[in-house]
Amino acid sequence: MPVELSRADPGTESLTDPAGSAQATLETEGPWCTVVWNDPVNLMSYVEFVFRRYFGYSHLVAEQLMMQVHEDGRAVVSRGSRERAETDVQAMHSFGLQATLEIAGES
Amino acid sequence: MAHAFRRRADGTLACRLDGEEKAIIAQVAQETAELIRADLGIDTDGGVLHRAAQSEDPLRRLEAEFAGRDARTPTDSAVRRLFPAASDDPDLATEYRRLAQQDLAEGKLADLRRVMQILDRTGGGHGEVVVDDAESMAMLRALNDVRIVLADRLGLKRDGDFDTVRMLQQIGEDVEGAEPVGDDEHVGSDIVIAVYELLSWLQESLLRALD
Repeated sequence: MPVELSRADPGTESLTDPAGSAQATLETEGPWCTVVWNDPVNLMSYVEFVFRRYFGYSHLVAEQLMMQVHEDGRAVVSRGSRERAETDVQAMHSFGLQATLEIAGES
Repeated sequence: MAHAFRRRADGTLACRLDGEEKAIIAQVAQETAELIRADLGIDTDGGVLHRAAQSEDPLRRLEAEFAGRDARTPTDSAVRRLFPAASDDPDLATEYRRLAQQDLAEGKLADLRRVMQILDRTGGGHGEVVVDDAESMAMLRALNDVRIVLADRLGLKRDGDFDTVRMLQQIGEDVEGAEPVGDDEHVGSDIVIAVYELLSWLQESLLRALD
């Protein structure tokens, strides 16, 4: 994701809130997961917006997942059945995000 | 001169664009739609397969099913970014394309069409572009898809690549200032860079207005 140099609003939520860990808040557990990969086109604000709008994640969770994609190159954004993962991957692709499905714990 | 999106009192979102800006956004949206259709082998009448799948005629339904079965893997590098493989596992990736690609393509083409309609209804000159929430979502996705295509043409592969492209453009301009050269390819990429920047700015401004 391109790094934004000037953000007008610093945001009000703390990034270090231990209770809001993204991984712990991903609602469904299951054998399949949806992975979103970093790319040089999607704006950080857009990726965060998509996570909030599609998955219904809070600002905090969405921002943590977005930063994980940006810094680690990938993040697991949902878990569940294969059907669920396929649906989520298709939704991510509809927004232009690079996404794959994989068996949880594969890599 | 373009003005950023803002939320209006009636809940709709509005920005201001020049006639030239509107024309170029409509053009790149049109070109993106044509690129998708050409590479995936979709007729201009994009809904043919979909209607065939719901046809009363069992033979037409079967045809549609077979057509959907071998969803074409994109050959163009930009279309591959828009329709990426859903897995490292080739069987899984093929299965996913068969299930999802047609719907995905129809969604993207509908978004691009919608943006062209939105720009069209505002007329030719400088003026306000007003969108409701559903239209703003279509616009976000379509602007993003066009940016993905332009980024591919600019060769952006990693974070920071666009800054490098901009820097090289700047150096090129400085060098050209000393020794002017008429290089068509260079002019082409200058336009792509400018359009990419305009779309990124517009998308960012729409995101802020939506928040």
